[in-house]
Amino acid sequence: MDKLPVALDQNFSGAIGDFPALLRHKGLLAPAAAVSSTPKVGTPHETSWQPTEATTILAFKFSGGVLVAGDRRATAGNTVVYDRADKVLEIDRHSIMAIAGVPATAWEMARVLEHSFQYFRRTQLQEMSVDGKVRALSKLLRDNFGFVMQGVGVVVPIFATYDSHPKPEARLYFYDAMGAQFEATDYAATGSGSPAVRGILYYENNWGAKPLQKLGEDEAVSIALRALDTAAESDTSTGGVDRGGKIYPLIKTVSSEGITTLPEGKIAAVFKETVA
Amino acid sequence: MIEEPYRWVEAIANRREYIEAQLASGSPIAALGYREGILFLTLGQRRQKIFEIYDRIAMGAIGHPGDIERLRMAAIELASTEGFTRSAADVSLRRLVHYSLSPLMKGAFEQVYGAPYLARMLFAEVGERPAEDLFLRVEYDGEIASNGATFAQVRQDFAVLSGTRQSRELMESFLKAEHRADASFETALKAALDAWTVGHMTLQTNDAKELPERAAITKYRQEQLANTGIEAGVLERDAGRTIRYHSLSDTELRSLIND
Repeated sequence: MDKLPVALDQNFSGAIGDFPALLRHKGLLAPAAAVSSTPKVGTPHETSWQPTEATTILAFKFSGGVLVAGDRRATAGNTVVYDRADKVLEIDRHSIMAIAGVPATAWEMARVLEHSFQYFRRTQLQEMSVDGKVRALSKLLRDNFGFVMQGVGVVVPIFATYDSHPKPEARLYFYDAMGAQFEATDYAATGSGSPAVRGILYYENNWGAKPLQKLGEDEAVSIALRALDTAAESDTSTGGVDRGGKIYPLIKTVSSEGITTLPEGKIAAVFKETVA
Repeated sequence: MIEEPYRWVEAIANRREYIEAQLASGSPIAALGYREGILFLTLGQRRQKIFEIYDRIAMGAIGHPGDIERLRMAAIELASTEGFTRSAADVSLRRLVHYSLSPLMKGAFEQVYGAPYLARMLFAEVGERPAEDLFLRVEYDGEIASNGATFAQVRQDFAVLSGTRQSRELMESFLKAEHRADASFETALKAALDAWTVGHMTLQTNDAKELPERAAITKYRQEQLANTGIEAGVLERDAGRTIRYHSLSDTELRSLIND
């Protein structure tokens, strides 16, 4: 007979508040794959691992907090699979994870992360700190690196959140595929279209009309749209703005008030006025 | 001992008496469904007694802190893994309690060589409408009482928990007369405070068969409020939010009581 759904858990797997550990304990999450350099059958490239995070996401701080934007295209090789993909995901009331990479792994990570934060709060009766949250994502990436080396499941995310302690401020982090976390002072971009975006954001921040952190919301949206459209110009894996299909990038902001998803109508208006 | 059925029955009866005596001093907890949600309330400041379990589920408990902790952890683990592998909509209080917690507690209670759970718990799950709110009280032996209609009673929009059966029944008859599901938050808050007062007043005495006088309730409540803190939490009915639970601070509640 199977174990009772609630096994008499004398080990207190919950007492440390580690949700991924609980999932692995119950066999609900793939174990961390061993890192091996031997290419497996079906590996797309016979040479060593190459990053294939085909998309563009960007985030920068502006006067109203952090803005996170992502295009909507999902690709498999040369094929456009989906043109309404949601790559900017809400993790909790104040945290956004934006993903470049393999959607299956990325969405699973977002789900694990979302539940981890809730689980921690409910079991430990306190909110997880921003540093704890940033580290939790880092650990998921590290555990996934074995798969990345086998040529499947690379994820390179951006994490934006609002910290109220010790002083209220927006915080922005980007990661590499191994799980190293870097705090960005002004902006971050990842995905195949990111070199172009990084160039634009660097230029705007230093020689633009005003630094990114001083921009109002409409100005920030305008720059995000221009940057994504520029990335889409040369990168086939980035959707940019689909003028015919009227598909706009997804833009969210994080402030002390929480997360706001900008309505498509507003994005369309800014696009029409300042980009198209 | 176990070979003889009579001895087993006797052992269980002793155990029941022992647990009842341990729980008898537990401060009451009231959970009331109102227009915009469900309010959990108790008084006391020694340790936390009202907890968030999942998006739409909260719990209040009295008993041994170690046992409450184990059961709380089991409930959160179960709800969280279910919500992760399926979806938050698949997490249901009815399943959680009927299929998991109750068998677990009954098992522990009847294994006379092992330790039972010294805990009595009150769960609530907020629905889209007050008529869909579910309240379940789980006893240390796995017994479940719900707010649903039976041959003996109509459906109730509240549930309570107390150290003794007598105190609980008086709280229930008080709320049956005083509380309505379409009450506002302020009205529900006052009814919950009064119900707690009734429960706490009748914990001390063995022969309270009747509800105390209205004036006596008010006086006792004021005395208690002067010395102890209010602990409360709310499950919001607002379907626009995923996470419905939030706790309420003593100070924000006091500003609403004004008496």
